[in-house]
Formats: sequence, C-alpha cells, structure tokens
Amino acid sequence: MNSTAQDEITEYVERVRAALADLPEATRAELLEDLPEHLAEIRAEDTVTLTDRLGSPEAYAAELRTTAAGFVGGFPDPPKRRFDPLLAARADVLRVLGRADVRVGPVIGYAKASDFLVLLRPAWWLLRGYLAAMALAWFLGAQSQEIGLLPRIGNSTLVALVLLAGCVIGSIVLGRRNLRLGRGPRYAFYGGTAVLVIFALGAFFNADDDVRNPGYNDVGYSGTSSGGGNPYDYVNDVFVYDSQGRLVPGARLFDQDGQPITMGNAYCEDPDTGETQHTRSMGYPYCPEAVPFASPAPTAKPSFADDGALPTPGESSPAPAATLKEPTPGSVSPSR
Amino acid sequence: MDTTQLLKGVLDLAVLAALRDGDGYGYDILRRLRAAGLDEVGDASVYGTLRRLFAGGFLNTYVVPSDEGPHRKYYGLNAAGHAELQRSGKVWQGFASTMDDLLRERETA
Repeated sequence: MNSTAQDEITEYVERVRAALADLPEATRAELLEDLPEHLAEIRAEDTVTLTDRLGSPEAYAAELRTTAAGFVGGFPDPPKRRFDPLLAARADVLRVLGRADVRVGPVIGYAKASDFLVLLRPAWWLLRGYLAAMALAWFLGAQSQEIGLLPRIGNSTLVALVLLAGCVIGSIVLGRRNLRLGRGPRYAFYGGTAVLVIFALGAFFNADDDVRNPGYNDVGYSGTSSGGGNPYDYVNDVFVYDSQGRLVPGARLFDQDGQPITMGNAYCEDPDTGETQHTRSMGYPYCPEAVPFASPAPTAKPSFADDGALPTPGESSPAPAATLKEPTPGSVSPSR
Repeated sequence: MDTTQLLKGVLDLAVLAALRDGDGYGYDILRRLRAAGLDEVGDASVYGTLRRLFAGGFLNTYVVPSDEGPHRKYYGLNAAGHAELQRSGKVWQGFASTMDDLLRERETA
C-alpha cells in the first residue's frame, strides 16, 4: 500500500469520525477501532478510491450509525440464561420490596426504609457476632446443658467472654471489609447467615417459653396454690414443737377464720411390717414414730403411739421414775 | 417495500449465518452476503455489525498477516455466537412462516 492510499484512508476515517461526533465517545471509539484496517482491506481489493467504492464518508457514517443502535449496553439479545423463571420471580419480589421500601420510609421519617436499615448495619454486625458465638457454643456439645445468655463451652465464664469477643470482632471486621466473594463462597455466606437467623429465632422463642412457664421450683415463692403447684403438696405430716423443743402431740391447726387446716396424709406405714394403716392420732403428727427431730430431753417420744394414748398438750405426765427430775415417761409410763 | 429496511432487522442474523461456514474478514463477509443475494447490504453495515457482535461477545477475532496486501482481521463465531445464531434463526423461521401463512390466507381469501 502506498502512502497515497494510506492518506486517503486516514482522511476518510477522520471524516467518518467527524460525522459521528454526536455519539458517545465509547461507542464511537468501539465503532471506529478497526475502520482503518477494514478500509485498507477494501482499498487493496479495488483500484478505485474509497469514495468511489463506498460513497462519501458522511454516507458511510450514516449507515454505520444505524448499526450502532444497541451498541451501548451490549447486544440487545443476550444469550438465554438458565433459571430464568427463578430470576423472574426474584425480580418480582425485588419490585414489591422496592415499592414497600418507598412506602414505609416516610412513615418512620426516612426517604426509604432501607435508608434506616443501612444505619442499623453495625448493630447487625454485633448481633451476628453474638449469634455466631452462641451457635458455636451450642454446636460444640453444649446442647445438653441449658442455654443461658453467654456462649458457654463447659462452665468457664472467661472462655465464654473470649469466644464472644472474638466472634463479635470477627463479625465487625467481616462487615467493614467489603468482601468480593466468588459465587460459591457468597452463597455459603448467605447460607450461614440464614442458619444463624433460624437459630436465633428458635432460641428466642425457647427463651420466651421458659420465662412464661418457669419450672415448679420457682412456685414456692408465690406462696399460693395458683400456677398449678401447691407448695405444701409434698407435706405428708406436721410436727409441732413447743418453745422447749418438745414435740407437741395431737396438735390441731386452725387458720384465721377458725377453719381447721388439714394437710398431709392420715396414713402411716409401720416400719416393721410395712403395712399402711389409718392413723390413730386425732391431731398432728399423724405418725409420731416418724418424728424428724429427737426432742432434747428424752421425752416420751414413742410412748404416745405405743399405748395409743394422747396426753393433753402442755400437761406434763407424771414421772414414775424417781431418778429423773424431769417428767420423762418411758414406754411404761401411765397416761391419764 | 424497501429491502434495506427489512435488512436492518436481520443484519445480525445474516452476518452470523455468513460466518457459520467459516471465519472471514470484513470485505470477505460482505462478498458472501452479496453472493447469497443480499445485494443491498452496504459495507458500513457489515463492518458496524461485526463490531457490534464482537462487542456483544458473540465473535472472536484474530489478525492474519498477508504478504502482498494489508493484514486482515478475521472474525469467527464463538460458542455464544453459535448459540445466538441458532436462537435468532428459530425466531426468524417462526416469523417468516407466520408471514408466509398470513400472505397465503390473503391470497386465498
């Protein structure tokens, strides 16, 4: 190719470029990138000038312009992708969310609801770190024990605090750094977040349940029989002691209205035979032989049961044994 | 009816089809289209379409040195180009047969 032809090509290209001056620079550059080489091919095929062969540069530019439609933003018909229905569904959901975003925003004083959520991002990082620590503690074999508020592995508070701090800091670092993940790791990340959210919801409702229905061991504080647990349900017998620490046999209990208080189980088990029979006692204790505390003085603890007699409370029995000053009726002591 | 107007819509498909049988450089492809009967197609249209298809990722390109003339830039279909040719070809065939049916009904009516 001689220099005349080269000059001709250069001039032609420049005039085409000038005619396309209104196109975006990127489009024009893309369009004209190969034009000199292309025109050189054509020039080499024929001996006639480019203008004779192709028409004026302006006409060439006009024709080129028609092919430029759709140049920006790529080819109008991109190759079909898989999962098209799923992508369409996702687009629908996003559109609905976008509309809700704009609607809800003004109600809480923001242009868009998402503007507010963006502000909460660091709070989410904290929560995510905490949840991650809790989930970690739970998965690492703490399922057996009751979940508290700290991510305990074993019973060490220190370990729990260290784990908590580590997870929270890690979560913040992860949030601050705008990670560019590949598709696989990104989906794994989303999956992990979903697991955390589910874990959090489960734990939350569990905790709510525990708070509303505490175990029976707490009921005693209420002192009432409401809540399904009478604190005296376990009482089988009542032993009354006087100020001297002596067992009061045949005691009667009354409430403020004069109503007798009845509690316990009026049946006694004979320790020797194992037989159960109705008590013969008219008051408490029903089963004097099962007395929990021995009286300080050798009072006639078993005597009442043995002879079946019930001395009047507060009245001492006569002491037949001269060796003892205190009235200490033995098993043979007569009762009145 | 002006065939240049019709051609505008199917120029992409025409160029893809011209490349199906083998890679070619710009002027070569223009010749193939004209030999196939598309006399009205202009050089700028083919060149611009090649550039656009290349930008869209449907073509690959390489330069072949030439002894006597200038180096030639060859274009060829890549996988996406083959897929697009098949897809667009079906669209065209469907469209063409619809038009055929429409015209036939008009004639018989």
